[in-house]
Amino acid sequence: MNESERNIYYLRGIPVPETPPPGKDPSPWKKTDIVGTSIPRVDAYERVSGTALYPSDIRLPRMLYAAVLRCPHPHAEVMNVDTSAAEGMPGVRAVISGKTSDTDFAWWYSKEIKTKIFDPLCRFEGEEVAAVAAETAYQAWDAVRAITVEYKVLPFIAEESKSLDSSSPLLHPNGNTAKTDKYSRGDVGAGFSEADVVLDETYRTECELHMPMELHGCVASWDNDRLTIWESAQGVYSIQSRIAEILGLPLSKVRVIGHYMGGGFGSKLQPGKYTVIASLLAKKTGRPVRLFLTREETFLAVGNRPPAIMQLKAGVKKDGTLTALEFSCIATGGAYPANGTSLVDWLVRDLYLCPNVKTETKDVYINAGPSRPFRAPGHPQAAWALEQMMDALAEKIGMDPIELRLKNIPSFSQGREGNPPYTTTGLRECLSEGARAFGWEQARKRSSGSKENGHVKRGVGVASGLWFAGGGNPPSTAVVKLFSDGSVNLNMGASDIGTGTKTVMTMIVSEELGVKPEMVQIEYADTATTQYATPSGGSKTVPTEGPAVRAAALSVKQQLLSFAAADLKTDDSSLTLRGDEVISMKDPLVKVKIHDVTGLRKRGVIVGVGYRGPNPERKVVNPFAAQFCEVEVNTMTGEVRIVRFLGCHDSGRVMNRLTYDNQVFGGITMGIGLAMTEARILDRDQTGKMVNRNLHDYKLPTSLDVPKEMKSLPIEKPDDTANTIGAKGLGEPVTIPTAAAVANAVYHAVGVRMTGTPITPLQLCQALEKDGKERSK
Amino acid sequence: MTPGFSYRRAASIKDAVTGLSEGNGRILAGGTDLLGCLRDSVFTTDMVVSITGIKELKRIDETPGGGLSIGALATITEVSENPVIRERYPALAQAAAEVASPQLRNQGTLGGNLCQKPRCWYYRGEFHCLRKGGDRCYAVAGENHYHCIFGGKGCYIVHPSDTAPALIAYGAEATIAGPAGMRKVSLENFFVPPAKDVTKETVLEAGEIVTAIVLPPPLAGLKSFYRKIRSRQSWDFALAGVALAIRTSNGRVTDARIVLSGAAPIPWRLVDAEKALIGKVAGPDSAKHTAALSIKDAQPLKHNAYKIPLFKGMIEEEVANISQA
Repeated sequence: MNESERNIYYLRGIPVPETPPPGKDPSPWKKTDIVGTSIPRVDAYERVSGTALYPSDIRLPRMLYAAVLRCPHPHAEVMNVDTSAAEGMPGVRAVISGKTSDTDFAWWYSKEIKTKIFDPLCRFEGEEVAAVAAETAYQAWDAVRAITVEYKVLPFIAEESKSLDSSSPLLHPNGNTAKTDKYSRGDVGAGFSEADVVLDETYRTECELHMPMELHGCVASWDNDRLTIWESAQGVYSIQSRIAEILGLPLSKVRVIGHYMGGGFGSKLQPGKYTVIASLLAKKTGRPVRLFLTREETFLAVGNRPPAIMQLKAGVKKDGTLTALEFSCIATGGAYPANGTSLVDWLVRDLYLCPNVKTETKDVYINAGPSRPFRAPGHPQAAWALEQMMDALAEKIGMDPIELRLKNIPSFSQGREGNPPYTTTGLRECLSEGARAFGWEQARKRSSGSKENGHVKRGVGVASGLWFAGGGNPPSTAVVKLFSDGSVNLNMGASDIGTGTKTVMTMIVSEELGVKPEMVQIEYADTATTQYATPSGGSKTVPTEGPAVRAAALSVKQQLLSFAAADLKTDDSSLTLRGDEVISMKDPLVKVKIHDVTGLRKRGVIVGVGYRGPNPERKVVNPFAAQFCEVEVNTMTGEVRIVRFLGCHDSGRVMNRLTYDNQVFGGITMGIGLAMTEARILDRDQTGKMVNRNLHDYKLPTSLDVPKEMKSLPIEKPDDTANTIGAKGLGEPVTIPTAAAVANAVYHAVGVRMTGTPITPLQLCQALEKDGKERSK
Repeated sequence: MTPGFSYRRAASIKDAVTGLSEGNGRILAGGTDLLGCLRDSVFTTDMVVSITGIKELKRIDETPGGGLSIGALATITEVSENPVIRERYPALAQAAAEVASPQLRNQGTLGGNLCQKPRCWYYRGEFHCLRKGGDRCYAVAGENHYHCIFGGKGCYIVHPSDTAPALIAYGAEATIAGPAGMRKVSLENFFVPPAKDVTKETVLEAGEIVTAIVLPPPLAGLKSFYRKIRSRQSWDFALAGVALAIRTSNGRVTDARIVLSGAAPIPWRLVDAEKALIGKVAGPDSAKHTAALSIKDAQPLKHNAYKIPLFKGMIEEEVANISQA
């Protein structure tokens, strides 16, 4: 054997996991050698060194650059567009607007209301009015500036609280309510009368923007009647189907290529108008067109986490039994139906045992950019309300906040019809083991009424959560190819949105086939050459794609054993894969090197196809979470410093501890943004325009805003009922409890309840002053 | 996208002054503010004059009288790390260390930090405001969370510099070169309040450049400090900031300078509070009194009343700290 062949396999002298007969599901892994270890990302070098090509890096021969003219008003009618000057400018190859006949395609944010690519009625600042393709980006922007538009400026709504006022302008003919949802179980009235303590509070979370590192956009190119799109996307097939539907093309004629992408957080699950505009400009000019938005444009037009006003009334008995929860919420998905209240009541319905629950949510229109799903839609908002309420209830009945939560842990999903059980729930362990690791009791006592530095107080807080989805689901198809030298190619349609999907899938192939991870090459995220996959979102990529990849690897193994059985003139059920050989379990002398297996040598490749099987019936697969933090509050200035954080998560099997911890720290960081720094600010009383449209004024947390001490403690309970790899989703639960944990810690430190995000000296300084005055009365 | 302009790399201060005097010239030093302003159409220019090649503007030298001259091109990082500044003018080193982010401190210059344009989001955004030649200040009835509580008249910006209050607390002077030669202006008189001229931030006339900042020798026994409070711990301007310079004798305050950032359209010196502090025993009581006096003339807008308890808390904390130091 030469050196390169020897390097392909882990020569570890132990068999790879058993190979089930064809058509049968494999048993859960009992012991793993690769899965669960800490392996650096398989594409870390490419990403860090800059050799990885992202869609925004694509430069095609003869490519043009596009720029979009956007409405500068939050609500205006386009009376006239004059593009004549722009058309005559140097380098300009095409100008399109609502006036050009080739742009008459429907667009929708959700199916309830259809609009146009260039709709004459602009309902939010940043809505598209015209677009230019030119030889250079500078020429395109110069031409955009040369377009003159006559607007009829209309009255606007900038606050969801005012959307339903009778004096407010209507955004759509049927009124400003996009959607009302109601839910009820038990009898909340009876529940409140049973309670020893009833509290009622109004909470508010500000609008948060996704701000992925890579901007939104694509490169579009036509080859006769076939359209190819390189897009920064969370899923290539979801882009393909929407663009094919809009342009009236067969799926086979739309190829979408994703590959590397620089983050989406939910805002890149679907194409944007930019995708259609680039395609139309490319068609019109007969040349490839690149349209990536500027950072400023992404503040307006590519989604957000909807701002929410939430009222929560809760009843509890002295022994900690929750008796009733009543929740109402007004939130806004912006100027179009865009799921502004999606899942915002879910934690109230499902997180804690409570027989009497009533919720009502209302999604209303305002003149602002439509929302898009944002990492755990609805959940961090609901946790902000519910988890602060749990804290307040615990204080009122004189119980530790962790003890109150532990008293109310359900084993089944109360929010769903028929109360189906969770396959697994680690909520209890997240809270109790997390509390131990955090040193909760000591920290709680130590910081309670702390006199450190006199006016600088310490406090600790906890919050928990679950994520509505996270179990994964069919469909998914994966293909594993074993080459004649034993190296492997994995072909899957899913995108790796920066979470480590490629690394985890490589580890699954490596686990099953015994090849080293570096011998696995992945082809992914291309509708022409890789298999169908739903977009990477919902914390479902690992539990969806992982089982399909495992099944594909198993299929390869079954075929390999069958070929080897022919060579060894034995029954394939007596054979197993060990290192670089297929060997008989009965007689160790009966064996053949993989690269000598005749069937493989003759074909050159073994192709295994794997499919994602169905989820267990009448069971719910959800991940669970608890997070703990310690803060320091300066009571003279309202400054808050987060001292440390612990994320304790049950997401089933830990596939790779490194990428796992990355998710936990990333989720906490994003949650600190919601808690402490981020808010979209509209000029509500004058123009309705967004005033903090840049990365200085819209404050993402920096490395100095997150604590040096961040820890992750996985509660590892492989969920063998859920799927064949035992993993549940992780990417979203990690950001659900964070903001609420900070608010609870601030309360513990200074006794002031911060019901609105973000907690900055702007709010806290005044709250502390007011609190001080009340106390001295 | 930036407007089209000519570019001139000045070989000397004289050459720069000549270049700036031709048409609507703008200075390129660190460029961190210039490029943002051009890109956001805050102003336009037909001539960018780079002064980065003028070596003498980079020097930090001790003056014969025992003070320090800091060239306008000294980077903010250099100011924050310079051992003489750290030892003799600690509030300036602290203020410089609090500016923006490490990248911006490496690139940005002291001259630029003093001459930067305000950060009001109406001024920087697509709003034709008073300061840009429009007919109104949008902050008056708008989102004025980050606007001033002192000295607003017509325009309600806050002065964005961290280093300016510290320099004023030390009594620094700006050296200015221009078509008519050199002149010196006390830094305290360098900034122009909107009540005087709403379209100008500094006394610089067309063709003038700040070449150096000259600090007098530090007073013996002077204690000084700069404190900055912001919404985000890096890359953020002050919600409230204060430069303090206090000298005591036998426990009683003999000299005091209190200069605020994030409070007014110019660095805001609290002359009344300073006077009231002189002669008092340095300690918690005088700190409380000074803090209360500091905010007595504050005139908050709709969304920035928080700045009153914020400045009060910060000034009390810092005056008490510095008294004990």
